[in-house]
Amino acid sequence: MTTLTAPSYEILPANAAIKFEGSSERRTLTVPANTQISLIEKYAAQSAGIYSTQTALTVTLEDHAKLTHYKIVQEGAQASHHSSVEVHVGASATYHSHVFLLGGFHLRNTIHVRLHGEHAECMLNGLYLASHDQKMENHTLIDHVKPHGTSRELYKGILDDQAQGVFDGLIVVQKDAQKTDSSQTNKNLLLSTKAKAITNPELKIFANDVKCKHGATIGQLSPDQMFYLRSRGLSQEQARRLLIHAFASEMIQFVEIPELRDQLQHHVEDRA
Amino acid sequence: MLEIKNLHASVGDKPILKGIHLTIKTGEVHAIMGPNGSGKSTLGNVLSGREGYTVTEGDVLYEGKNLLALAPEARAAAGIFLGFQYPVEIPGITNNYFMKTALNAVRRARGEKELDAIDFLKLIKEKAKVVEMDPSMLSRSVNEGFSGGEKKRNEILQMGVLEPKLAILDETDSGLDIDALQIVSKGINALRSPGRAFLVITHYQRLLNYVQPDYVHVLSAGRIVKSGGKELAHELEQKGYGWLENAKPATVV
Repeated sequence: MTTLTAPSYEILPANAAIKFEGSSERRTLTVPANTQISLIEKYAAQSAGIYSTQTALTVTLEDHAKLTHYKIVQEGAQASHHSSVEVHVGASATYHSHVFLLGGFHLRNTIHVRLHGEHAECMLNGLYLASHDQKMENHTLIDHVKPHGTSRELYKGILDDQAQGVFDGLIVVQKDAQKTDSSQTNKNLLLSTKAKAITNPELKIFANDVKCKHGATIGQLSPDQMFYLRSRGLSQEQARRLLIHAFASEMIQFVEIPELRDQLQHHVEDRA
Repeated sequence: MLEIKNLHASVGDKPILKGIHLTIKTGEVHAIMGPNGSGKSTLGNVLSGREGYTVTEGDVLYEGKNLLALAPEARAAAGIFLGFQYPVEIPGITNNYFMKTALNAVRRARGEKELDAIDFLKLIKEKAKVVEMDPSMLSRSVNEGFSGGEKKRNEILQMGVLEPKLAILDETDSGLDIDALQIVSKGINALRSPGRAFLVITHYQRLLNYVQPDYVHVLSAGRIVKSGGKELAHELEQKGYGWLENAKPATVV
C-alpha cells in the first residue's frame, strides 16, 4: 500500500472465496452471504500528461454481506477520470463507500446503489479537494426498493482557486419501501472567490411512512473561528490550515484502516 | 504594562468608545463594569485585535509599544489573552491538539523551546485539574457540544496553559451557575501573580465577590464615568447603573 500503481485493488482480508473478475474496464465483485470484506481501490498518476481513466464496477452483496469500499483517486494533473459503480444490496446487507477525490483535471465519480432486500443499508461518504482549474463531479443515486432500508450520505467539498465541485445526489424511495430512514448532506467550503460549488440534493418519495431529510451548505472559513485561533497565537496561515483540516478530517475519521487513514491525513495536511 | 489614552473606536460608522483612559500596572486586577451597550466588549475586542473595529483616535501602549499595530497572534505572543464571552466551537479539532498548537506557536514566537507530546500532556492534565475538567474533554472537539459552564472553564484552562501577562476576561461569568462560577474564579485566582495583570469585564458584581479587584471602573456610553476600589462594585449593586448615568467622565486613575 505504500507505493501506488494505477489502478490498484486490494481486498481485505485476503479471501479466495471472493470473485473479483473482468477486465480493467468492467469488473464484477460478488460478496457472498454472511461475508464481510473491504475493498481498496486506488488510482495514482500514470503520467503528468494528458490521459484518461475509465472504470466500471458492479458489486452484488448477497444477504447479510458487508462491503466497505474505499476509492482514492489521485490522478495526474492533466488526467480525466470517469468511474462508475453499480451496487446491488441484498436483505440485511451493508454497503459503505468512502470516496476521496484528490487529484486530476476532470474527475467524475458515479455511484448507483439499489437496496433490493429488506433491512438493507448503505452509507456513501465523499471528500473532494479541488484547486486550480480542476473540476470534480459526484453523481449518486440511492434507490430504496424494499422496506426498512437505511441510507446515509455525506459529501464534502473543499474548493480553491477557480476549481469547480459538483454534487448531484438523488434518493428515491419506492412505493414498497416503507419505514425507509434516509439522510443526505452536502457541505462545501470555498477558499477563493472564484471557486464554484454546484449542489443538487434531491429526494423522490413514493412511500408514505418514511423518515427522510436532506440539505446542502456552501460557505467560507468562519471569521469567528479564525479570530479565535489567532487570538491564541496561531498565525493566519496556521489557523486557515487547521480549519481546512478540521473540515476534511470528519470524512477521514470514517476510514477504518489506520494506514490508509494516516495517508489521507498527511495528504490533507500537505494540501491545506 | 498597559496604557490606554483617549481611546475612541467605532463599529462601522457608529462610535462606541468615546475617550477611554486607563492604566494597568503589573500584578493589578482591574474590573470594568457597565450596563449593556456601554462598550465593555468593544474594549476587549479592540485590545485583542478583532476585525471590524476601527480606532479613530487615541493610543494603546503595551509594555511601552503600540499595541494597535500588532496582529492578534502577535498580541498573544506578547502575552495578551482574551477570554471570550462566547467561546467558539471548532468541530474536527481536538481540544488537546488546539492547545498544543497554540502553546507551541506562542513559545516559538517567544524564542522558547516547543513542548513535545509527552511534556504537553503532563502540563495539560495538571492545568485541567485546576478547573476540574475531566481529561476526556481534552480529546473532544474544541467547545463542540460543551455546556456554557464547560466552555468558560475551557477558556480559563487555555489561559492557564498560555500563561499570559495580561488577561482580558470578557463576561466570563455570564451564563454560569454558582458552582461553575466558583470553579472559574478558582482558576482565575490560581493565576494571580505579581507578574500578571487582569482586566475583568463584567455586568454583575457577583464574580467580583470571588475575584477581588484592586480597582473598579464604570463604563457608560463609551467612557469611564467613575473609578474606585472594590467597594464601588458593591455600591453599584445596591444603587444600579442609573445612579451614574449622568455622571461626568472620571479623571485618569
